[in-house]
Amino acid sequence: MKLSEDGLARALAEQDDALANCVHCGFCLPACPTYRRLGDEADSPRGRLYLMRAIVEGRLDAGSDAFETHISRCLGCRACEPACPAGVEYGRLLELARQVGGSVRPPPHISRLLLATFGTKWASRLAMLGARLLRASRIPDLLTSAVSRARTRPGEESAIEPEPHSARQRSTARWGSLWLAFAMVSASAPPRRLFAKVRRRQTVSDAAAAVDLGRSRPRGTPTADDRPTVGVLAGCVQAGLFSRVNAATERVLNANGYRALRVRAQGCCGALHAHGGDLGRARALARRHIAAFEQAGVDFVASNASGCGAAMADYGSLLADDDAMAESACDFAGRVRDVSQLLAERGGRAGAPLPLRVTYDPPCHLLHAQGVAEAPLAVLQSIPELEVVPLADAAECCGGAGIYGLANPELGGWIGADKVHSALKTGAEAVVTGNPGCMMQIGAGLALAGSRIRTVHLVEMLDESYRLGGVYGDTRGLCAG
Amino acid sequence: MSPDLADALTEICGPDAVIVDRDRLLAYESDGLTAYRHRPGAVVLPRTTSQVRRAVLAVARHGLAVVPRGAGTGLSGGAVALDGAVVLGTARMNRILEIDAPNRRAVVQPGVVNADLSAALRPYGLHYAPDPSSQSACTLGGNVGENSGGPHCLKHGVTSRHVTGLEIVLSDGSVPRLGGAGGEAELGYDLVGVVVGSEGCFGVVTEIEVGLLPLPEGVRTLLGIFDRIEDAARAVSEIVGVGLLPAAMEIIDGPTIRAVEESVFAAGYPIDAGAALVIEFDGVDAGLDEESARAAGICDRMGAREVRRARSEEERAALWKGRKKAFGAMGRIAPDLLVQDATVPRTALPSVLRGIAEIAARYRLSVANVFHAGDGNLHPNIVFDRRNREESGRVERASAEIMRLCVGAGGTITGEHGVGLDKRRYMELVCGPAELKAMRGVRQVFDPAGTMNPGKVLPDAPGEGDDQGAAQGGPGARRSVGGGRARGVESLLELLPAGQTLVGEEALEWLGGSAAEAVVFPESAEEVAALVRRAAESSAPLLPAGSGSRLGWGGAWPSGVGGVVVSTRRIASLVHYEPADLTLTAAAGMRWRDLDETLRAEAQWLPLETPGLWSGTVGGALARGGAGPLRSRYGAVRDSVLGLEVVTGTGEVLRLGGRVVKNVAGFDLVRLFTGSYGTLGIVTQASMRLFPRPEVDLTLCFEGGRERMLAGAAALRTNLLPVAAAELRDRAVAGREGRTALAVRVLGGAAEAEDVRARAEATVGTEPVDVLLGKESESFHRRATEVAPEPLRSAAGARRGDSASNRLAEGIKGLFDPHRILPRRP
Repeated sequence: MKLSEDGLARALAEQDDALANCVHCGFCLPACPTYRRLGDEADSPRGRLYLMRAIVEGRLDAGSDAFETHISRCLGCRACEPACPAGVEYGRLLELARQVGGSVRPPPHISRLLLATFGTKWASRLAMLGARLLRASRIPDLLTSAVSRARTRPGEESAIEPEPHSARQRSTARWGSLWLAFAMVSASAPPRRLFAKVRRRQTVSDAAAAVDLGRSRPRGTPTADDRPTVGVLAGCVQAGLFSRVNAATERVLNANGYRALRVRAQGCCGALHAHGGDLGRARALARRHIAAFEQAGVDFVASNASGCGAAMADYGSLLADDDAMAESACDFAGRVRDVSQLLAERGGRAGAPLPLRVTYDPPCHLLHAQGVAEAPLAVLQSIPELEVVPLADAAECCGGAGIYGLANPELGGWIGADKVHSALKTGAEAVVTGNPGCMMQIGAGLALAGSRIRTVHLVEMLDESYRLGGVYGDTRGLCAG
Repeated sequence: MSPDLADALTEICGPDAVIVDRDRLLAYESDGLTAYRHRPGAVVLPRTTSQVRRAVLAVARHGLAVVPRGAGTGLSGGAVALDGAVVLGTARMNRILEIDAPNRRAVVQPGVVNADLSAALRPYGLHYAPDPSSQSACTLGGNVGENSGGPHCLKHGVTSRHVTGLEIVLSDGSVPRLGGAGGEAELGYDLVGVVVGSEGCFGVVTEIEVGLLPLPEGVRTLLGIFDRIEDAARAVSEIVGVGLLPAAMEIIDGPTIRAVEESVFAAGYPIDAGAALVIEFDGVDAGLDEESARAAGICDRMGAREVRRARSEEERAALWKGRKKAFGAMGRIAPDLLVQDATVPRTALPSVLRGIAEIAARYRLSVANVFHAGDGNLHPNIVFDRRNREESGRVERASAEIMRLCVGAGGTITGEHGVGLDKRRYMELVCGPAELKAMRGVRQVFDPAGTMNPGKVLPDAPGEGDDQGAAQGGPGARRSVGGGRARGVESLLELLPAGQTLVGEEALEWLGGSAAEAVVFPESAEEVAALVRRAAESSAPLLPAGSGSRLGWGGAWPSGVGGVVVSTRRIASLVHYEPADLTLTAAAGMRWRDLDETLRAEAQWLPLETPGLWSGTVGGALARGGAGPLRSRYGAVRDSVLGLEVVTGTGEVLRLGGRVVKNVAGFDLVRLFTGSYGTLGIVTQASMRLFPRPEVDLTLCFEGGRERMLAGAAALRTNLLPVAAAELRDRAVAGREGRTALAVRVLGGAAEAEDVRARAEATVGTEPVDVLLGKESESFHRRATEVAPEPLRSAAGARRGDSASNRLAEGIKGLFDPHRILPRRP
């Protein structure tokens, strides 16, 4: 193998024991969204691990089409990990495989462009500013509804193409990538219409009752001084397009016995880079990130973006070989929590009723990578009158998967279409989730399918309930109704 | 892989459905058993039967073989392609085609995942019972190929009991539909039964019809913790011995417990235990507490350290999760794992487990055991590292010794994983040359070209010429036997002493008027074989019979005159009966009544209740096959037969199957002979699966207008009430014309029966006019079987097989009766 001297191939070779843990039982196959759709075992976790093993054994070239195709087709959703009885750390191995593959065959331009943008502070800010301006222009909204009208024939719920394989379909998919980007920007807007609907439904007496509830102190709230401090991850996309969710995160944490702190010097957490196999840049970003939070001295690091949360929780292994940082990386990782976990642990404070029917889609990197299943549901259930209906195949990825949806519009679109289909079948008025990527992917899919169902962040939901209930000592929301 | 073939396959299935890139094919090198690595020539992923058919023909035109593959979770190397064969993956054939809840059946494509089917059935209150440990990933097509088992097969039976119809693409491109519509109209041979477990060597199954069971309304799960694994094994035998029939009994030994507890599926087993025994009861809620308390008491008596009860669905799920994911969790102990799958009679478990431990110690290997103890189906996992050549050699030798140990104890080499590539070399431990030849012959009937998954299951034939002869059959193939031109019937009579033959008036009297030249009573299988060989030479037709009570049935009386009735009535001994194994071996001539008395003494039974059962013999019952009204609870005749000794039309004695409840060593020829009306051979001995006799047997007799009774019977069915049978009969008794009777049989423990009885009465909506208890109930139904009409005749209107399946049946007939001396096919 011509790469045998290559340090990166060695890195994968060092994982030999981890790869050997895979006993080839195949339990991961049905958990894998790409295998479920393509039916090709090379597009299953077991198959991809087998290809990695073949690289280590010198039977497969890291630059081969097969390796590139199947490794890049992986969503990285890690749904295979909970299904694996042998405890194979698939996510880690995938990152290494992408690093090895990427070193001989650079990833597609769009991926490199996106990773470079997010990895550079000014570029990221500039891109986000552009996106905000674009969103404010309402052009994405108009384009999205135009595309959806063109795609949706009368009487059809969703006209998203099934498995695209012809050349014509491929070209539509490429254009689809552009429409998707616009629709995602459009879907990042605040759910104003949804919340207005809530206020219209509320009667005055409801609201009054809510105010009473709102005045009740949360259980066991300590005095202001010894509240645990929480540094909220600002994030790249969150800070750029979802600053309202970040603000809401701080508010709901403060209302539930935490003290939210702004950690100014933080940057990109490196999640997208690690998942894409750019481990060098991921480590550099992680070091800077850890230093920032260390300086702030927080008890917890709260994330409202599960991809980032999962990556930060993995800092210990990412920086395991960095003697100077290994210890603080482990300490940092131990403090990382999803915002829903913090709320479920100390929260339970009730706000105003939100008479809505919603469904919950668990982000992969929350459910599979961090194993957080119950906390978000507990938070939703704490909101009075909020009806949470189950979503079919909820545990499956929405096809967003970081930048996957943009880089692989065909397969990502197919997976996303299925999620949209499930969401439409629930009859819910909103899809609640816990990750900006999923919000935009599912929201864009719904909009392009001609649906008016919105995606809402879990924290936004709770925040709206608190706001209407006067938890923040402000009852403007009531007057608006 | 020729570009032509790739193009042809692409044309048929689409460009994204054909994989020819050598690198991409790596992922298909192995199935769940990584010891075998063979890269296929190509992989094709069709979506429809028509695509499968065209792909099979295209591959055949290029002279390559086809290997059907589901999810590749098999553990015998059965789904790997040898010599550049083309893998036909069924992953995209994953649609559930029909769910027919009222008739408790579903039709699926082969790529449907086992657990997905049960999930789809849950809203109907139904499920598909076989639950292999890999059920979250394995496909129904794979289950059919391997005749998969699973923990709950102890009570509910393995895959073959639940598959009622198949569509299969054969190598010549024909697509016979076998069985179907619930398997009610059983005409001809049980081709479905022989295809189940054929490991893809007969064709590509493209549609599967399965029978469904109601979800159990109650479940009780226990976990006994033992210091010694032998004690756990003794507890298993004892539980069955006292007449309890849990849905599942699983033993997990110490090393496995430790592996599971270190995995993400930790179930909270104590890591210092010698063994854990999971026992699960399911069924009607009433009575389950009592049953599980009895089982817990037995565990205590056998020295359990503690007995835990799952108090919630979560706890139960955790117990099972640890058991079901045990195989994968082994990956944590060592890089390589050799999983065995031998089955032994349940009572042999303690001694066999001891023997395995001794073998492991002798070869300095570590063996972990996790297995279906209730079925005696062992899964010793030998942990090793393939990179260590010397250790691998020891694994190989220890493995062979374990196989021999299990076969020596009355067991078999594989209970549910299949033979595949891995156990071919052990086939000769359980099959003689005649049996192997018969299996090769049946395979050739389905796949004359030999291009369906070649190189699997059967060891290489010693000389291919023999097989050709056997497959083609035809008169003259066996002419050399005996010697000299025979003189018809007399030459047959010469073979037996005078006391064993009847001719003339005596024969007529025995036959009750039917025409035959003589009746002969051989006293051993060898005598039967000699008769058959002589008949072949003289072309004298034979009519196999038992007691002669249903001679005309089957419409199979040989054409022409000069026939001889061969009665097995004097081959009537009880060969083997071990109540704690719930199995029995009896000679064919044993009267069913005598068999029942034997079983009654041990509080067991075999309630087949088929027409004609009680006045006949064991052999007669098997030859007629079919099913009685208790089918949904106890299965059909074909589900009860574990092994047969049969003399074929060529005069060869075949010993097929065995006396263990799970056995997938080779093709299931037992199914072919069961229900074949003596047209393929003469059964001389049979091993059967038994059941504990229920504490309560009562029959509720309702009476009323026809509409009302029909509605009652329908309501019982839709309520999924576990009544054993509901029969309707129009009363012709004087003074009660126009009245219809509905007889509902309730079986079970006292509490269960009481509960079901009350619910049945409420469902029918009227008081029973009579309640028959115990023996009265039994004899009521026994009388019913006596007056029942001939099933084949009453099913005459039912659909017959298509021409392709008729061709298969004719091929099988030709294989086993080439001289046409046995009765015609019904």
